[in-house]
Amino acid sequence: MRKTLVISFSLRNTYRVNAILYSLRQIPILKRLLVQSLYKVRALKVIANIFSFVWEVLSAFLGKFLYFATMITGLNLLYENQNPNEVFLHILLFLTIIGAFMNTYMFNPTKDKYYAMILMRMNSKSYTLVNYGYSILKVIIGFMPFAIYFGLSKGLIIWQCILIPFFVASAKVAFAASALIYYEKTSCVANENSMDKFKWIAAGLLLIAAYVLPVLGVVIGQSYALLIMILFVVLGIVSVVKIISFQKYHEMYRLILANSMMQMENAKELSKQLSQKSISENTLVSSNKKGFEFLNDIFIKRHKKILWKSSIRITIIFSFAVLGLLAALFIEPSIKQSVQKFIFEYFTYTVIIMYSINRGSGFTSALFMNCDHSLLTYSFYKHPRQILKLFTIRLKEIIKINLIPAIVVSIGISLSLYVAGGAPHTWLYAVIILCILSMSIVFSVHYLTLYYLLQPYNAATKMKSAIYPIIMYATYFLCIILMNIRLSVTYFCLIMIVVCIIYSITACALVYFLAPKTFRLRT
Amino acid sequence: MYLKIEHLSKKFEKKQVLNDICFTFESGKIYGLLGRNGAGKTTFFNCLNRDITFESGNFYLGDNNILRRITSEDIGYVLSVPAVPEFLTAREFVKFFLDINKGVIDEIQPIDKYFDYIGIEAEDRDKLLKDYSHGMKNKMQMLVNIIAKPNILLLDEPLTSLDVVVAEEMKLLLRSLKEERIIILSTHIMDLALDLCDDIVLLNHGILEAVDKNNLSSAEFKEKIITALKEETHA
Repeated sequence: MRKTLVISFSLRNTYRVNAILYSLRQIPILKRLLVQSLYKVRALKVIANIFSFVWEVLSAFLGKFLYFATMITGLNLLYENQNPNEVFLHILLFLTIIGAFMNTYMFNPTKDKYYAMILMRMNSKSYTLVNYGYSILKVIIGFMPFAIYFGLSKGLIIWQCILIPFFVASAKVAFAASALIYYEKTSCVANENSMDKFKWIAAGLLLIAAYVLPVLGVVIGQSYALLIMILFVVLGIVSVVKIISFQKYHEMYRLILANSMMQMENAKELSKQLSQKSISENTLVSSNKKGFEFLNDIFIKRHKKILWKSSIRITIIFSFAVLGLLAALFIEPSIKQSVQKFIFEYFTYTVIIMYSINRGSGFTSALFMNCDHSLLTYSFYKHPRQILKLFTIRLKEIIKINLIPAIVVSIGISLSLYVAGGAPHTWLYAVIILCILSMSIVFSVHYLTLYYLLQPYNAATKMKSAIYPIIMYATYFLCIILMNIRLSVTYFCLIMIVVCIIYSITACALVYFLAPKTFRLRT
Repeated sequence: MYLKIEHLSKKFEKKQVLNDICFTFESGKIYGLLGRNGAGKTTFFNCLNRDITFESGNFYLGDNNILRRITSEDIGYVLSVPAVPEFLTAREFVKFFLDINKGVIDEIQPIDKYFDYIGIEAEDRDKLLKDYSHGMKNKMQMLVNIIAKPNILLLDEPLTSLDVVVAEEMKLLLRSLKEERIIILSTHIMDLALDLCDDIVLLNHGILEAVDKNNLSSAEFKEKIITALKEETHA
């Protein structure tokens, strides 16, 4: 057992360390500093090992903290009229049951299992028992501090808090054991990555039970909740016997891993198929335009489903939301003041709204997968003049696609503000509209510019840039920061308009100067 | 007409892939670029096509004692995995290509004439390219690369994944194209190189070297190539 533990740990650590080193090398500045032989440099290995260890610890605690802070305690705040410790246990109970079959460890076809049990031919049973035991231990240890902290803050007593991690672990073990029994009887194997629709429906229903029932005033009483938890712990202990005595781990994992490794092999093919699926089969679509206008026109028409249709769908949803809000303001004038206050206080949230509804990243990835990926292999397409011409055409198109929902959002907010009591200055309505429209434009410019300046894929449609995803994440975090800035609407809008104009001009200038060199297939 | 390569060097980190290559390719011939896996055949093509940067090197096109630098219009590059814009029909692709190359192509023909020439059936011409077979995509890629009549045609492992019928059609096509241009095809399949190419050039240890046939029988010639590749590997 100890030997298995050591081997599986060092195996997992080795590929994690190599993955860290590989990622480091994808960052341009570091790439020059780090040679290809870095995988054997001891000092680097030590650093990567530290990262790997930190990751292991973080993965044990961070996720659990976020889970408690948002899913359970955070959303608990919505139910002000209910007993907080009962709602806490109620939500926890249902979410734990979802987690028990959606996040099992045992039926998750990961690469480390594939390497160990299939490639390295380790003994499946001892590998599984050791690693499964470790993962369950991680659940108990990871949950414990937060269960105690959040439990006590919700008014539970200490033994009830300590019960929580054991309940979560037992629910997982009980589900795993039942899935093993089911496999023995039917030869059907559970797989986390390809769940059937019944499990999704069950998860949906349990989610509704967790969050909607308390709204309706239905909450499981504390003593019942505790009883259920204790029963699960008993069931969990009994289930351990099944997990230890189960003899067919080898054949079961061959099935789980064969399927999913095939999926991994086919992942490239699948993503290709997926992007191909987004092409409309309609060959009757035509265009009277010529050259690049023709190319763009046909591209947009054959990708209507993922570009215009989704933009129109978003527009319709926002239109209904605005109409609903306006109707509510007319029917219930008492809410006017709070709506007005809400718009003023939370106006910065429009950043994240404009970020989430922008079709820019979908547009650029469809552009690459279905168009540029192939055309960039032809020299006529890479001519600087042609690159810039097409950039201009595409920029206009992506701005148009995103402006329609932006117009509805901006007019909707201004109109709601007007009806809800008005802005202190009339010009503020125009500034609000202008601000939201410029945010929409800047996101469109941002995605297309990034694509032209960093073109992150190679001919095999594999992402070869580390900077590109980093900037994508940074964009998201920047939006979150902007969202949380507390600034008056007037200042916020004026600053945003200026920033957007400067950013858009700079970005386009960069494309004009650099894209002829950067807009290439990566090698 | 000839393609002159001067002092082409390319390295990946410390590995010297192309080592000060100087070589001249002449028109009217199909050159078979032979090399072992990883020898740098694709890198060589990528450098010529300026898809990647390189440490040193110049490429010229010479004709009637006039030497000029190569432009992107001079080169047609056919990849082993055919890349065609899948959302277009074959007709739309050719139309788009002709549109933007107006003025560059001498005598533009009706689109169907091009299809007749490359052997794409009438019923397939208005199908989306995503529904094309591998061989048909290959023909389309080839067609677009030859419509503009580039002076140099680079083919990276061109026939390896085609069925026998399409492969034979492609061979005939390449032979018919060689008259007024320089054709270089890379392959690691020796029989294909011997069957189709007029001259064999080895790429080994970053250097290009023509192999002289010198009245050898085809078996002897094969033996000579293998020996050369083996010797240089151990050199």
